[in-house]
Amino acid sequence: MAGSARLSEPAARTRGVPAAIGRPGPSAFHRLNPLTKATLATVTAVAAVVLGGLIGPAILVAVAVIIPAFAAGVLGRLVRTALLLSLPIAVSAFLVNLFFLPGAETVLLRIGPITATAEGLAFALEILARILAISGAITLFYLTTRPADLVVDLERRGISPRVAFVANASVQTVPAMVERAGQITAAQRARGLDTEGSVWRRVRGVLPIVGPVILGSIAEVEERTMALEARGFTRPGRRTLLWSPGDSTAEAIARWALLLALLALIVARIAGIWP
Amino acid sequence: MAEILVTGLVHVYREGAVRALDGVDLRIAAGERLALVGQNGSGKTTLVRHLNGLLRPTEGRVTIDGTDAGSMTVAQLAAKVGLVFQDPDRQVFSGSVRSEVEFGPRNLGGRGPELATAVNAALEATGLAGEQRTNPYDLGQSRRKLLALASVLAMRTPVLVLDEPTTGQDARGVDRVRAVVDAVAGEGRTVVAISHDMRFVAETFERVVVMRAGRVVLDGTPADVFAAGNRDVLGSTFLEPPLPAIVGARLGLGATPTDEALVAALETRPSGR
Amino acid sequence: MTLTLSGVGYRYAGAAQPSLLDVDLELPNATVIGLAGASESGKTTLCLVASGLAPRTVGGRIRGTIRLDGEDVDAWPMHRLAERIGIGFQNPGTQLSQVADTVFEEVAFGPMNLALPREEVVERTWDALDALRIAELAERDPRRLSGGQQQLVATAGLLAMRPTHLVLDEPTAQLDPAGTRLVADAIGRLAAAGASILVAEQKTDLLANVASRVLVLDGGRVVRDGPVDEVLGDPTLAELGVAPPSAARLRMAVAAAGIDTAVLGSLDG
Repeated sequence: MAGSARLSEPAARTRGVPAAIGRPGPSAFHRLNPLTKATLATVTAVAAVVLGGLIGPAILVAVAVIIPAFAAGVLGRLVRTALLLSLPIAVSAFLVNLFFLPGAETVLLRIGPITATAEGLAFALEILARILAISGAITLFYLTTRPADLVVDLERRGISPRVAFVANASVQTVPAMVERAGQITAAQRARGLDTEGSVWRRVRGVLPIVGPVILGSIAEVEERTMALEARGFTRPGRRTLLWSPGDSTAEAIARWALLLALLALIVARIAGIWP
Repeated sequence: MAEILVTGLVHVYREGAVRALDGVDLRIAAGERLALVGQNGSGKTTLVRHLNGLLRPTEGRVTIDGTDAGSMTVAQLAAKVGLVFQDPDRQVFSGSVRSEVEFGPRNLGGRGPELATAVNAALEATGLAGEQRTNPYDLGQSRRKLLALASVLAMRTPVLVLDEPTTGQDARGVDRVRAVVDAVAGEGRTVVAISHDMRFVAETFERVVVMRAGRVVLDGTPADVFAAGNRDVLGSTFLEPPLPAIVGARLGLGATPTDEALVAALETRPSGR
Repeated sequence: MTLTLSGVGYRYAGAAQPSLLDVDLELPNATVIGLAGASESGKTTLCLVASGLAPRTVGGRIRGTIRLDGEDVDAWPMHRLAERIGIGFQNPGTQLSQVADTVFEEVAFGPMNLALPREEVVERTWDALDALRIAELAERDPRRLSGGQQQLVATAGLLAMRPTHLVLDEPTAQLDPAGTRLVADAIGRLAAAGASILVAEQKTDLLANVASRVLVLDGGRVVRDGPVDEVLGDPTLAELGVAPPSAARLRMAVAAAGIDTAVLGSLDG
């Protein structure tokens, strides 16, 4: 095993990176570079806030959310997820503005002491369109991009591998902790900890569960750190990537075009040129 | 004291329709010392978690001391069946060894001198009497495992279940675990242990139950289970009998699961060989 | 390439007593050395010191010298040592990076960190997978494998760094018999292929099978150092808190009863 010698016989044919790594997405939209998709989502969300009126955001939703989602084959999931995400805030914003918009006069409907107004309805619809645009844009990005792909792309563009690692590892932390908490709960219940009794009993049960979750995680951190260091994690500088999402000049131009368009929109809005 | 009766036990995990237990029938008399062996995935852990209610049967029934376990909560069953988990870091939370050991018996209503006696005895049995104020995380991994054992011992349950008690233990630790098993069984309490240390099993337990794919495939004394005829069955679960059993079979000495048994067989063998 | 520890002592940060005292150890090419001793006798500390994690990552104070082929490595940073000395731990799960969705990416993690050309990363990864016979696991999710398989993946990850020495701290402690067999066989094959391995184990049967020399630690000191059969066959081994291998124990029990141990025949395998 001395130094750089091979450990085993060379394979009959050369093998590359396994196909499962960096598998391309199912649609052209999926296959766009993650940064492009992120730019689209951000520009759409900000533009939805900046644009005045109802028509603007509505067109935005149609063009920047609905059509790409349809092309990517995720329209159904997007509608469900975006609605789910935005439902509480959308419903309350809609109702508040419908009934309680200050200075509104044209009455549409009276229910007891509260009044729905036409101005309220118009404003409520505008707010709704914005909320849908923002949640739709974010959901579209989320449904068509693997988080790890975005992190790899950012790493290729220059963020530190250590930072990239933390970003990726953070996603893992919650499910791992939840699982650990489940095992700890089982162990403490086996010692008579009552998890089904009164509120007071359950409160007293928090420390025996949270304690080991935290202590165990801390104890594990040292071992994990050692294992990472043993594999050269702290070597300064860049590292080799097995794969990264493709990019093209056309996409780069598109990203800049989107950002410039957003800038122009903001300027136009501030200068009062465009509603 | 408590007898355990498992009848037609089936357990299917919801997620993958995995049939972790496929019809297990088992009767464990009060005071028995039983070892449960089999490779990971054979159903051993699933089975023991039914004994204290952490898991409930999909089909079949578990009866503890005449009462259906299904009618008792986990907290109630904890007074009858004490289960020591394999990883001590999944339960340790106190700042001191003593308060850690007090947790279990306190939950069961222990107070005052009665509690102190139980805790002292448990600390003594696991060799931790001198570490009462030590922070558990200042003990090494293997002594923390003994702490986990002490914390369930102190609950003085009629049934004690140990999940892999000797993993990660050195020779002295294993001796201590063996001593605890002997002491507990000596009081007429039942001990069930999951283990993949075949030597420990042969030397410490009077009954061995071998599981594979959710079923019991062998059930008998160590001499029975580790006899030559069962070598293939054991091999199918990636288990090997302890060395004395293999040597004894090779020398035609009958069933000799431990060093002592082999020596005894050699001594009583008619000379002239 | 020889790893040499001379008069090495080590004290953890904030500890009242040193955990290692005056340890001499030489690990040349193509040698497997076993490390035995009771819990807390210093086996893990010695593994951490030999790999450089102590004091670099763990802190604490070290005495004595550690040399790789004659060169003092005291000033080497951890990542430089990581290319020469790989260290594996007993818990398979915590050694996985958790950011790899496939075994291939997990094993490639080390070479990727070394910024080697991509073709070389790929070649080293397949090479390490082949050496441990887990190439068919390449596209599996490492987090869903059995403990034994995970331990092999972790070891492959170390081998992909092409270290000159491998330090394994109780690699089979948490594994079931099937997993232990997988790992023990792999260690045996690596040894036969010329690897330099320092392996700490409670399972003296395993050491009897793969090691040529064994060191026994007691209270941080090396108290036995010699050929494997001599050290593990020593009747005073049990006093040091180490269980003799099954064959030795059987022979001792038979001899203690006044029976000629020849009657047992060969106890290999």
